[in-house]
Amino acid sequence: MSQNVQAKAESIITRARGLRWQVGEAFHDRAIEALYEEATHIAGRSVTISGERPRFNFDRTLDRLLTSRWTGFPIMVLLLAAVFWITIELANIPSKMIAGLLLDTVHPALKEFGTWIQMPSWLSGLLFDGMYLAAAWVISVMLPPMAIFFPMFTLLEDFGYLPRVAFNLDFLFRKAGAHGKQALTMVMGYGCNAAGVVAARIIDSPRERLIAIITNNFSICNGRWPTQILIATIFIGALAPPQLAGVVSALAVVSVVLIGVFFMFMVSWGLSRTVLRGEGSTFSLELPPYRPPRILQTLYTSVIDRTLIVLWRAVVWAVPAGALIWLVSNIHIGGRSIAEIVVGGLDPVGMLIGLNGVILLAYIIAIPANEIVIPTVLMLTVLVAKMTGVGGGSGVMFELDSAEATASVLQAGGWTVLTGVNLMLFSLLHNPCSTTIYTIYKETGSAKWTTVATLLPVVLGLVVCFLVAQVWRMVG
Amino acid sequence: MAYPEQCEICPVNRGSKLVKLGETSDSTDYVIALAGNPNVGKSTVFNNLTGLRQHTGNWPGKTVTRAEGAFSYDGSNYKVVDLPGTYSLMSTSTDEEVARDFILFGRPDVAVVVMDATRLERNLNLVLQVLEITDKAVVCVNLVDEAERKGITIDDRSLARELGVPVVLTAARIGRGIPELLRSIRDVATGALVCKPRRGWTEDKKVKSALDELVALIGPEYPGLPNVRWVALRLLEGDQRIIDAIRSGELKSLALRGEHGEEVISRGKE
Amino acid sequence: MTPGEMLIGGIGLLVAAAALFWPDRGLLARIRAAKLRTDQVRVEDALKHLYDQESKGLTCTLDSIARELGFPSKDDTSLVARLETIGLLTRQGNVFRLTPEGRSYALRIIRVHRLWERYLADETTVSESDWHIEAEKQEHLITAEEAAALDRRLGHPAYDPHGDPIPSDSGELPEVAWKTLTSLKEGEAAGIVHIEDEPPAHYAQLVAQGFYPGLQVRMIEQTSERITVEANGNEIALAPVLAANLSVVPLPAGEQKAGSFRTLASLRPGERGVVSGISPACRGLQRRRLMDLGVVPGGVIESEMNSVTGDPVAYSIRGATIALRRQQAEMVFIEEIEGRE
Repeated sequence: MSQNVQAKAESIITRARGLRWQVGEAFHDRAIEALYEEATHIAGRSVTISGERPRFNFDRTLDRLLTSRWTGFPIMVLLLAAVFWITIELANIPSKMIAGLLLDTVHPALKEFGTWIQMPSWLSGLLFDGMYLAAAWVISVMLPPMAIFFPMFTLLEDFGYLPRVAFNLDFLFRKAGAHGKQALTMVMGYGCNAAGVVAARIIDSPRERLIAIITNNFSICNGRWPTQILIATIFIGALAPPQLAGVVSALAVVSVVLIGVFFMFMVSWGLSRTVLRGEGSTFSLELPPYRPPRILQTLYTSVIDRTLIVLWRAVVWAVPAGALIWLVSNIHIGGRSIAEIVVGGLDPVGMLIGLNGVILLAYIIAIPANEIVIPTVLMLTVLVAKMTGVGGGSGVMFELDSAEATASVLQAGGWTVLTGVNLMLFSLLHNPCSTTIYTIYKETGSAKWTTVATLLPVVLGLVVCFLVAQVWRMVG
Repeated sequence: MAYPEQCEICPVNRGSKLVKLGETSDSTDYVIALAGNPNVGKSTVFNNLTGLRQHTGNWPGKTVTRAEGAFSYDGSNYKVVDLPGTYSLMSTSTDEEVARDFILFGRPDVAVVVMDATRLERNLNLVLQVLEITDKAVVCVNLVDEAERKGITIDDRSLARELGVPVVLTAARIGRGIPELLRSIRDVATGALVCKPRRGWTEDKKVKSALDELVALIGPEYPGLPNVRWVALRLLEGDQRIIDAIRSGELKSLALRGEHGEEVISRGKE
Repeated sequence: MTPGEMLIGGIGLLVAAAALFWPDRGLLARIRAAKLRTDQVRVEDALKHLYDQESKGLTCTLDSIARELGFPSKDDTSLVARLETIGLLTRQGNVFRLTPEGRSYALRIIRVHRLWERYLADETTVSESDWHIEAEKQEHLITAEEAAALDRRLGHPAYDPHGDPIPSDSGELPEVAWKTLTSLKEGEAAGIVHIEDEPPAHYAQLVAQGFYPGLQVRMIEQTSERITVEANGNEIALAPVLAANLSVVPLPAGEQKAGSFRTLASLRPGERGVVSGISPACRGLQRRRLMDLGVVPGGVIESEMNSVTGDPVAYSIRGATIALRRQQAEMVFIEEIEGRE
């Protein structure tokens, strides 16, 4: 560009700057005002509205029902409870089928195939017992609930109900410095934290969106539900008389969920008043008109967009974790496997916070997926306690058919009621799985906030478990 | 074009001369930008044109990333860029910047603005802003089926007259109005139809004199720029992107292209 | 002592010495930097004071500088002498004047101060009373490049949130034709353009009384004890010393706003009104979002329904149903209220 043109450009910019002082502050507002005036004028000439508005009334009546003081909350609770109930009930069947296929049929077949082609046993162990088994486990636990939960959630979303939930619950979140839409990302988190983090995109205020992302981990995801239910049945349900055992263990799980909600609000409140105090904040929530959802398209997009993408990420992370789990249990140094050595080292720390070395090691190597925590715990317990006749050998994760059998293994591994209670708490309060961590990084684009979101819950978990253990030991 | 012969056979597409090309196409004759407020069915229109299946939720702000697709119509290949849904192009959110930058600097051959027929007034805000930036636009008033159920009638001819660009009524969910939309897009893209968009709403005296002064400075310097007044307005707002574009000469090259419009239209054909 | 202990002791000594003497990062280096910085702060505060006095048409003396900066005039003398030798000010008898270099230095500081206030107001939720305090710190810390980046990010604002013009990066500042509130005659109307943010106690009181840049006031009565003005339909009485901190631009007779000043928050479900304005206390992101949603003067808004707890409330705005929180609705003024037809 020639000197002359450049000078001309600069002179235009300088003049514009001078004129900005002259036109003053309110200029931007006035420009928008004029724009809207024009829009009103044009719309007035081109739009005619006839007196009758039947659909409008339908929307209004429905809104009255869904947001009224008396019916708003009961309907919301019923709907969400129905979604969860259907998910749990329906997911059981395909879960068992997939587990039967991938774990009980394909896995032995693969092992046989390995023997047949004379694969060295370490390779077949690493590939089939480690990597394959972890991936298969993640798929069988994760896929069915997500494939049921997400479409139902998406249907409610497409119909237009979810914004009304955010509308009704906003008062709670406002007090915590968060956005009403966080209620939805939270519920989404009960399906999968990574999906919940992505869903935080619907929050358009920077501060509230960060809060929603950081606190999403306090919703126990579907990889953690089975842990909660199993441990509650074994350790807490067993304390009650048999006829009440079911109710008591269910109450224990609900309590953990409520503790999660409590921490979510407290951490939101704390974040909005400390580290996020200065971040920009605004509120707006559009309540779109109700639209009949298109079921087939919803099924397609929610399975493709949400379920499969999340599942794929989880599998990608689970495979190396499976390899690692197999390796630490099978590489021996001085006659003991790495797993035994590490568990021995972690045991004192574990005991201090009312857990044990096995649990800590399981959580460290099972970062990629919460689904494989219990199988890993069982395998490590058997390995460390040198039990025989249970499980499939060192490095082979397994689960037992009945809660009683699991209980006996765990009790043989030295577990007490305190271990159970603290495991439930730690399963709620620990770092997000690696899929979620990766998603948080992608969504925030910030290493700082990813670190906060990762370390905050685990530090909370350690502190809470430590305090519970101390109180427990003082009282008991 | 790889598979028009087969698609030509099916009756649905023969009449409309539309071939959905999904995500990619070999060569692009025309670039189309798809703009619109959030939650107006923009993604549905996009899917309808390209055959892709972007998720369309009943949530404002669903489409976060920019999606691209392609279709072939009447012998030409079109690339469709689905811009993030925005309420306006004035403020400074990232979404609005992405949308604004593409319409201005991406120089699409046609900017299609999708509107919600049930909230025409609200949506006109964005339409008017797009028309300030580009001459080549088509307005697609979507969700007319929903509007009809609510007893709302849109006079498309009156609206087209007021806005100075083609207006098409569509119900993309059921495919209504898509052939007409395609025809309008082609007419504007090929230059068969020249738009005279409505510009310059009322400004108060202080602003008007400041704008006039800037226009008098910019106009002679950038002949061929289709939107001098808008550029002046953005300068008054202190828009960094425009300041940079003036400094770097980007605006100059836009203006030069505008002067030799024919070359611009035939780009990408080689 | 065993050799091991000696080794540990030696390493300890080395670490301690490094902590003390390390260039740039060591303790001594930090103390020196801090001393330099307070020196710089003094120089800059003195320049700002000089500029301020000059722009008010007042003269600067050693005493006034000492009062402003709050330290003994012995230090002052040396400070002023230094400023003189580096060519930032000239001295005639007891009166000081800024040189052009001094003035542009002062304007650079003021620019950073006002930019930072603008940033706090628009992009953060830092409270209004802290803006000035934070900006007083930042104005000495921010480099020219950082200021330029901030300016870009904020979209080159022309005014700070108190209504003061922000100098351009080349040090230009427009002439302002402001009067103080006390200069208004009875019955005369004016728009407030600037509230002096010093002393902070006065500023806080003015804000608490509901004054903000953009507010329109009408003089009702002026005596030597107190001044009474009408604003937003209310009468506000204030002491003349406070009124002198309010700068106004008189309004021509046609531009005066009248009418009710109810806010959107007072609408009951089914009622509708016309937006007459958005409070200037609603800024930056908050304001942009409201306007994007269609909350713009002249527009009709209808209160549609309450949520279960009554906050937020859903409003029908230009065909869309949008929920706003009470705190936001209180910032939107409406008039011509009517029930549902």
